[in-house]
Amino acid sequence: MADKLIGTDIAPPDLVAKITGRARYAEDFRPDGMVFAKLLLSPMPHCRVRGVDVSRALAMDGVIDILRAEEVPSREGPRESCLTDEPHYEGEPVLAVAAITEEIAAAAIEAIDVDFEPLPFVLDPLDSLRPGGPTAYNGGNYFARLPDAESGDPSVFQDFKWTEADFVEVDAGRRPSEAASTRSWEKGEVDAAFAAADLVLEEVIVHQSVTHHPMEPRTNMAYWENGKLYAHVSTQSAQATKGALAGAIGIDADDVVVIAEYCGGGFGSKIAGSTVMQIPALFSRKINRPVMLRITRYEENYVGRARPGFQAWVKMAFRNDGKCTGVDLFIVEEGGAYGSGDNNTAGNIADLIYTPQNMRFRSVSMYTNTPPKAAQRGPGGAQIVSMLEPVLAKAGRELGIDNLQMRLINAPGSDATMGPRNGRFTSVHAIEALEQGAELFDWAGKMELSGRREGSKVTGIGVGLSPYTAGSIGYDGLMVIRPDGKLYVHQGIGNLGTHSISDTARPAAEILGLNWDQVEIVWGDSSLGQPRSSVQAGSQTTHAHTRANHAAGMDAARKIRAIAAQTMGGSPGDYVLDNGRVFRRGTSGMALAQIAERAIQMGGEYDGHELPGDIHAQTRPAAEMLAGEGLMGVAKDNYGRSGSTYSFVAGFAMVELDHETGVVAIKEFVAVTDCGTVVHPRSLAAQVFGGCIQGMGMAMTQRWVFDPQYGVSFANRLYTARPPGFLDMPEDMKWGAVGIADPQSPVGAKGIGEPPVGAGAAALTTAVADAMGGICLCRTPLTPDIILAELEGRAPAFGRLDQHVG
Amino acid sequence: MAIIRDMIPAFDLFQPTTVDDAVALLDEHRGQAWVIAGGLDSYDWFKDRIKRPGVVVDLGGIEELRGITDAQGGLEIGAMTTLTEVVNHARIRSEYGVLATAAEHVATPQIRNQGTLGGNISQDTRCWYYRSGWPCYRAGGNTCYAAAPKAMNREHAIMGTNRCVAVSPSDTAPALVALDAKMVVRDGGSPRVHDAEDFFIGPAIDITRMTVIKPGDLLTAIHVPAEWANAQFYYEKIRDRGSWDFQLVSVAAAFQVSGGTITDARIAVGGVAPYPVRLDAVERLVSGTSGGESVATDAGELSIKGGRVLRHNDYKIAMMRNLVRRAVRSVA
Amino acid sequence: MELWRTAANPWGQDVLTGVSWDLMYAAIILAVAFLVGHAVWIKTRPTKVHAATEDVPPGIPERIQRHSLAARLFHWTMAASMLVLLVTAFVPVLGLQFPWVTIHWIAGAVLTATIVYHIIHSIGWQDFWAMFQIGFGEGMAHLKHIMSPKAPAPKAGKYPFDHRLYHHVLVVVGLGVIATGLLMTVRIDTIFWTRNPYMLADSTWGIVYVIHGICGVALIFFTAAHIYFALRPEKHWITWSMVRGWVDREHYLAHHDPEKWVVTEGAAPGQIEPVEEAPLEAGSAAE
Repeated sequence: MADKLIGTDIAPPDLVAKITGRARYAEDFRPDGMVFAKLLLSPMPHCRVRGVDVSRALAMDGVIDILRAEEVPSREGPRESCLTDEPHYEGEPVLAVAAITEEIAAAAIEAIDVDFEPLPFVLDPLDSLRPGGPTAYNGGNYFARLPDAESGDPSVFQDFKWTEADFVEVDAGRRPSEAASTRSWEKGEVDAAFAAADLVLEEVIVHQSVTHHPMEPRTNMAYWENGKLYAHVSTQSAQATKGALAGAIGIDADDVVVIAEYCGGGFGSKIAGSTVMQIPALFSRKINRPVMLRITRYEENYVGRARPGFQAWVKMAFRNDGKCTGVDLFIVEEGGAYGSGDNNTAGNIADLIYTPQNMRFRSVSMYTNTPPKAAQRGPGGAQIVSMLEPVLAKAGRELGIDNLQMRLINAPGSDATMGPRNGRFTSVHAIEALEQGAELFDWAGKMELSGRREGSKVTGIGVGLSPYTAGSIGYDGLMVIRPDGKLYVHQGIGNLGTHSISDTARPAAEILGLNWDQVEIVWGDSSLGQPRSSVQAGSQTTHAHTRANHAAGMDAARKIRAIAAQTMGGSPGDYVLDNGRVFRRGTSGMALAQIAERAIQMGGEYDGHELPGDIHAQTRPAAEMLAGEGLMGVAKDNYGRSGSTYSFVAGFAMVELDHETGVVAIKEFVAVTDCGTVVHPRSLAAQVFGGCIQGMGMAMTQRWVFDPQYGVSFANRLYTARPPGFLDMPEDMKWGAVGIADPQSPVGAKGIGEPPVGAGAAALTTAVADAMGGICLCRTPLTPDIILAELEGRAPAFGRLDQHVG
Repeated sequence: MAIIRDMIPAFDLFQPTTVDDAVALLDEHRGQAWVIAGGLDSYDWFKDRIKRPGVVVDLGGIEELRGITDAQGGLEIGAMTTLTEVVNHARIRSEYGVLATAAEHVATPQIRNQGTLGGNISQDTRCWYYRSGWPCYRAGGNTCYAAAPKAMNREHAIMGTNRCVAVSPSDTAPALVALDAKMVVRDGGSPRVHDAEDFFIGPAIDITRMTVIKPGDLLTAIHVPAEWANAQFYYEKIRDRGSWDFQLVSVAAAFQVSGGTITDARIAVGGVAPYPVRLDAVERLVSGTSGGESVATDAGELSIKGGRVLRHNDYKIAMMRNLVRRAVRSVA
Repeated sequence: MELWRTAANPWGQDVLTGVSWDLMYAAIILAVAFLVGHAVWIKTRPTKVHAATEDVPPGIPERIQRHSLAARLFHWTMAASMLVLLVTAFVPVLGLQFPWVTIHWIAGAVLTATIVYHIIHSIGWQDFWAMFQIGFGEGMAHLKHIMSPKAPAPKAGKYPFDHRLYHHVLVVVGLGVIATGLLMTVRIDTIFWTRNPYMLADSTWGIVYVIHGICGVALIFFTAAHIYFALRPEKHWITWSMVRGWVDREHYLAHHDPEKWVVTEGAAPGQIEPVEEAPLEAGSAAE
């Protein structure tokens, strides 16, 4: 398609508001009569509330009321409620107090006496798998249907334990038995592949669990008016949050207005809002006053979700020519209080990036009494590439093959398949990304520096390839050209700071021949009308909503041409849309403002009084509301697709490792992505760099630590959790994009949020191993203490498989 | 009592404008008054509702506590002088570079703009067991949780411990010990002057305090004597990330070098003990030498004598040894 | 006055952390009050000297060994360790800070060793039951004597009545402080092991601390009383016996019942030690 707008740098419409501080986040609203809620958090990782004495709190001046667990919706099994009397992690909200000021609410929390009965807890999944080991729930550590159950039987808690024999193996550094997994799949001839291999590498690898810690904690405010819930939510997604909130508290989605104009980051932890968003909604209904629940950084540490850690055993088979011919992967996942499914994605992605054709995957995810896990930017994928890319490099070292060559030999092409069902892809240009990156990075020149020692500093070079799902399909686009001549694109996706809120509208503007200043983005308030939209997560929106807005733009263009033909003669196909006008060659035609007025006069489908039959039921009320406002473009993305949409990022890093201190300095970094058509280069750079830096933090600086005795977390502040800072990053960071359009999207753009994380992490873990002469530490974070202990030949104090060490 | 964090409880705030007034206030509210300089340590405590003083005396309005002046050939740095001012001060940069460098390694520019030199050396330890409000020895209890068998203590001390194993967090403290600075402390009586290395105390002396400052005392100035001006300095701080991070181990060293020979040395190490550790024996070892590789190696080995590790901080032995080695090596 | 100290454990639960230091001050005040009171009481009390028994039983030597060298060494080692323990325990609380822990646990180890020695020694080599015979009648007689100086003090065997009472109290308090003290050494680094504060639950440790504290505070009182009596003029002869090992015949006859404490020659060897002369010191008994 024409590229007046696609592929150019355009400042997003919220830029000034953000820079000037005028942008209003959930915590910036103060309706009349608003009160503040504070939470009483569980001090123990697992306990039961035996009794609560709230009398002193309720007697305090300014205290309005208390919300208890029995007043909020709850479900059986390991399912989270917004308040609970049986907390399963330290920091889980037990009750809430509302008061006229936050200070009074806090003092009231302190005045509440809760009698907690401590219960057994577990932090490390391996402890729970040990015979006789503690379990996160009273009923067991595994929630499933009984093996002999009928298909309709409910899931129950059970104990899933490894045998003593498994632990003999594991304690000796070997993998547990086949039966030690609860999930498994296999493809190809795995045993034969290993038998025929020229080289087999086996490693035990630990990936840490890290919190999300977005800049904006999940603050929420809510009030009720005329039976409708008005919720100011810190959420990644807008339209999808409405249904999520309504469902969580058991009301009709039409009775919810979600206001979420801005979100200070979520990284997967606020996909459709958060669990705590229910609290002000329910509390305000109870006391009939607006309730603000400001979540602090400390609380965010607990309720703010985390990426699950892995403990993994991997065996990889290689031919002498460097091709990986077999992968046998066993992952133990730390599922936190409410479970996690990253392990499954990790298995699939391992299959995708090494194209072994023969793969066995087994995993077990254990509930633990640590804060809940959730998707974190590249969930599962980021961990596994960070863990396995150094193993590929090690194989190259042993086979005498350059690491980049190893990476290229094993990289997937567009014919790649993934996982047990051999899923296919719309387009894969990983090799192009690697080649372009190698050139930008000057791989050959850099490799000459590999292992160079200057004083105590040794140079290491690394490359990592990180794929991730990058788009869904089938959502709706909704837009109106009003009589002011402007195109109003109604966006139901969230404003997470990725600029997709405006960038995904570009195809429509392009189709309609509008200049960008003729486009207004309507977003953030569901009462303004939002089409059925994808969640702002999983790198979906760029793909899903360039398509949906493309479809709606096409719908609008069709209607404009029809009106033009009706008004000015000729056939619709004769008309061109450009510069805010519709015209036949050689004529001045009509301004779209006039077309909009004409559409209102004509009614029917032109102004939205008649709607397409295939749009989603959630789009319909918004379109009905907007009917008669102008010329409406509304359509479902029916472009279809065969295969999954995946983006790739190849990361390249040069580091200097100080062998006297264990400190790693990242000297240069390059990332090149295959994410289809580039819609917004500057924003894409921010996504690529931001994601890569997040991955570097995950691999190097960030950490999350628990005291084993009391099961409570440390590193619960930003300065102790240590996300990477400006000075941790190289001055020299470059990026590039392959820029090959995805053939199965009319725009050709794929998502980019997820894959950079794994690329940043894997380039680093590989480069650090290179700087250590090929030694894979096989654990994260790669902090100076762990590196120095290895360099000095000191045995680490923690066990090979220990989690939460940092 | 249920635990809640991140909400500062109310207190009575006093903002004196003279040292005399401040001292009088501290005397009047002895036992309840909390002195606040830049507030970066204090507000953390207040926010967590762990330290709950009834009275806070804010030194921000006392002009006489600010600024850097020439004194007795050396420098007199007011306790309320910001770290940024210390970093940028021409004479400190040129003559006492180790202090400027150390101050520059504190946290972030924003924190250095707000944080003061007096506050930096008076700040409390960052042991996360203690900072989480656990009833440890330092908090008046009878347990050191950080030294328990499976405790998370990679940032804790390898020497100078006595029940408590927390470390001194100050970046400028080792530099001031290396410069043989003097801390001027006022109370109701006449000013007392403490050598920097005596100013910082370990738990053996008082487990609840990091410095000699007692309730009622006010640190007014830091005197940097002329003796170590223009010495050959070395400073290095190892931390997990490049900013906003306390040291794992740091070293500050000053060498008087004449004709390639070290005639005198002062070396202090941070992050390894509840106070900056002055390495007298190493100083004696290197004096009279030219600080070559073999002396540096011996100095490193000597520095870690008596080090005793906890479960997760074994690496500090190697890190300290190597940093001291580097410091000595820097002379040659 | 507070009796206990409590603190929120890491889970926010209130647990005992020890006795209130108010009790230490109470013990000090009580000790001082008792000593002053006793001194005043003695001073104002009419004295009645009970004449020594006329008919000295035959065969009683001039010097009668009361404490063997081993027993005396035991006593003074124990005394020294106890004083060190008290000083290292309470002086820092009173405000004088010094590194007390190592001294305290080493002194505690010494005390424990002396007590172990003492128990074995007293069972195997001393008249073990002599210390443990306390009769109701004897107690009543003592009470009468305290109430009225006219009532004669009943004569004891080897160990005077008040000594036996004191010993029993000390057995309880001492064993309490030692048992809890030994448990508490698990919580500190020694040359033999590294600390483990988690051997017992927080609440159990609280009880251990409280017992240790109560016993420790009690020992302030009992140690003060003991030293006081040892320094009192009328008790010097006993104090000296702990130094020199023997009492003279005069004090023996004045305070002891020869039938209960048989010292005649020909008795079991080691009980009586022939001496050349009988030095007199410390005057006669006041009671």
